[in-house]
Amino acid sequence: MEKLYTWLDERLGLKTIYDVVLDRKVPKVNWFYTLGSASLFLFVIQAVTGIFLTVYYVPSPDHAYDSIQFIMNGVAFGWLIRGIHHWGATLMVLVVFFHMLRTFYFASYKYPRELTWLTGVLLLFLTLGMGFTGYLLPWNQRAYWATTVGTEIPGTVPIIGPWITSFLRGGPDLSAVTLARFFSLHIWWLPAGIVLLISVHMYLIIRLGISSLPKKDD
Amino acid sequence: MNEDYKQTYHEKYAREKQHGVKFFPDIIFKDMLVSFGIFVLLVGLAIFVGVANEPPADPSDSAYIPRPEWYFLFLFEMLKYFPGQIEWIGTAIIPGAAVVALFLLPFFDKNRSRHWSKRKFAIGFMSLAVLSMVVLTIMAVATTPPQEEVALASTLSEQITLGQDVYSVQCVECHGAEGEGGEIIGVEGLEGVVLDPINHSDIMYTYTDDTLYNIVEYGQPALGMPPLGLAYGGELSRGDITALVNFMRYTWDDRAELPAEAVAASAIPELKPGEVPSYEVHIATLSKRYCVSCHRPNKENNNYLMQSYEEIMTSGDNAPNLIAGDLGSNLIRMLHREEIEAGGPMPPTKELKPEYIEIWERWVMGGMPNTAAEAAAVSTTTTESAPTAPAASQTP
Repeated sequence: MEKLYTWLDERLGLKTIYDVVLDRKVPKVNWFYTLGSASLFLFVIQAVTGIFLTVYYVPSPDHAYDSIQFIMNGVAFGWLIRGIHHWGATLMVLVVFFHMLRTFYFASYKYPRELTWLTGVLLLFLTLGMGFTGYLLPWNQRAYWATTVGTEIPGTVPIIGPWITSFLRGGPDLSAVTLARFFSLHIWWLPAGIVLLISVHMYLIIRLGISSLPKKDD
Repeated sequence: MNEDYKQTYHEKYAREKQHGVKFFPDIIFKDMLVSFGIFVLLVGLAIFVGVANEPPADPSDSAYIPRPEWYFLFLFEMLKYFPGQIEWIGTAIIPGAAVVALFLLPFFDKNRSRHWSKRKFAIGFMSLAVLSMVVLTIMAVATTPPQEEVALASTLSEQITLGQDVYSVQCVECHGAEGEGGEIIGVEGLEGVVLDPINHSDIMYTYTDDTLYNIVEYGQPALGMPPLGLAYGGELSRGDITALVNFMRYTWDDRAELPAEAVAASAIPELKPGEVPSYEVHIATLSKRYCVSCHRPNKENNNYLMQSYEEIMTSGDNAPNLIAGDLGSNLIRMLHREEIEAGGPMPPTKELKPEYIEIWERWVMGGMPNTAAEAAAVSTTTTESAPTAPAASQTP
């Protein structure tokens, strides 16, 4: 055992990782500071349940609805996986938003953590993007009409508006193309962006340390 | 930002760290506790609240009220204040400014203080923004009218049961209660047309589900069948038509086996000697299957509607059509195929099975109770709980 550890440590630098990441001193903080890790946890939950859902989900207008009915009624614990993914989405938006408010109210975005804030705001909007694209995937009435209206809204922007709408929809109306690109955004583009930004975000947190609670004279 | 400020910050932070805790295990422990709580909450929500079932997307159903995900509601509500020409202020300028401001916050917020007492403007501004988002969300929820209830069917059995209801209302008039066809009576424009049966293997083996679906949706105008799809002037959504096709397939195609659950759901419970039937258990099912197709609004029916207990008891030009304890009531005489002042034999094309007529008669004699409980109170047998044995009758 000892030998195996030494062998691995020599190659992976386990001791260094432990010292730098885990065994470091941080200021005393309160429970609001758990919102960040809660956001990360929810992202992992969403990723895992989402990956399970793609096993049965079919992103085409002809089959999307039925494939979800099958997940809910035919697949063992499919209802549980979808239930967690559904509620996890709502909770993740809430927790990420509250994490942003915590950062704001405790002034954690100030020097030297400006970049952490920047990546955090990007992550907030990517999370909202996940919510928006994921909402269409069940291809039910609620999804269809919410997305119809949702993609109409940028269309009112002067000059480039109509172009944005047709870009989002992949044509003048909601169609199989819209579903395909929302699916692609939802399971590849946005999560890839989120993973990348979380890495930067975490690197910055470890490098700069978590901010301390502001004192009266701060 | 001068070097002094930076240095003071780092010195202070170093002191805070000295008085602080270890990331592992102190912070990690708190984090894991919260994450575990969230996990329990999620599993609880998934089990006890679940995900509401929705009808499938139907681009032809423009009556549907769009509802975005709740965390976008405040945006939609805000747009109401920017109608017409200035809509783009609400869609582009305000959200755009908010996004940019949030992004660049650390760069234009030159206030070096971190304690809330020295950041009153920033704290106040943000609190106001959050508060208005909350208020707008509440307003949006309060002003959105509730969605009309739609019949939903997710499992195959539910689909078949829903399909049966759809069939009873939309198809029975011409195709008969069991798809047997025959001469059409009492349908405007198609009076006297003789229809081939649609409930046998010639149709079932050669028409795929898609074909059946298309016939229902588009109709066959050259043969006199009107389109039933919402998009073409009918009343059926896509979900309804899918359910209808499933009902036809599983009931009439002898290669498909009707799930036991569906048989039980559509069965009319058998009566024990002395038991009085009730509206909710027996009569509602009978009237839905054999009467409502014509006895609903906008049909030729002497204004006698049969969609609810109230309607059955009181509506119609010849009301009352039912009198408690009187087997000479209009409805009973017409079921016995008598030609009376109020009208001819009912249902017009095919006599109701004797056991069903008996249910009607015993209901009238029992005082026409509405609920199962009321019926049990007047029954002379000791009725144990709800009768569950599926009737030997009617395999639809």
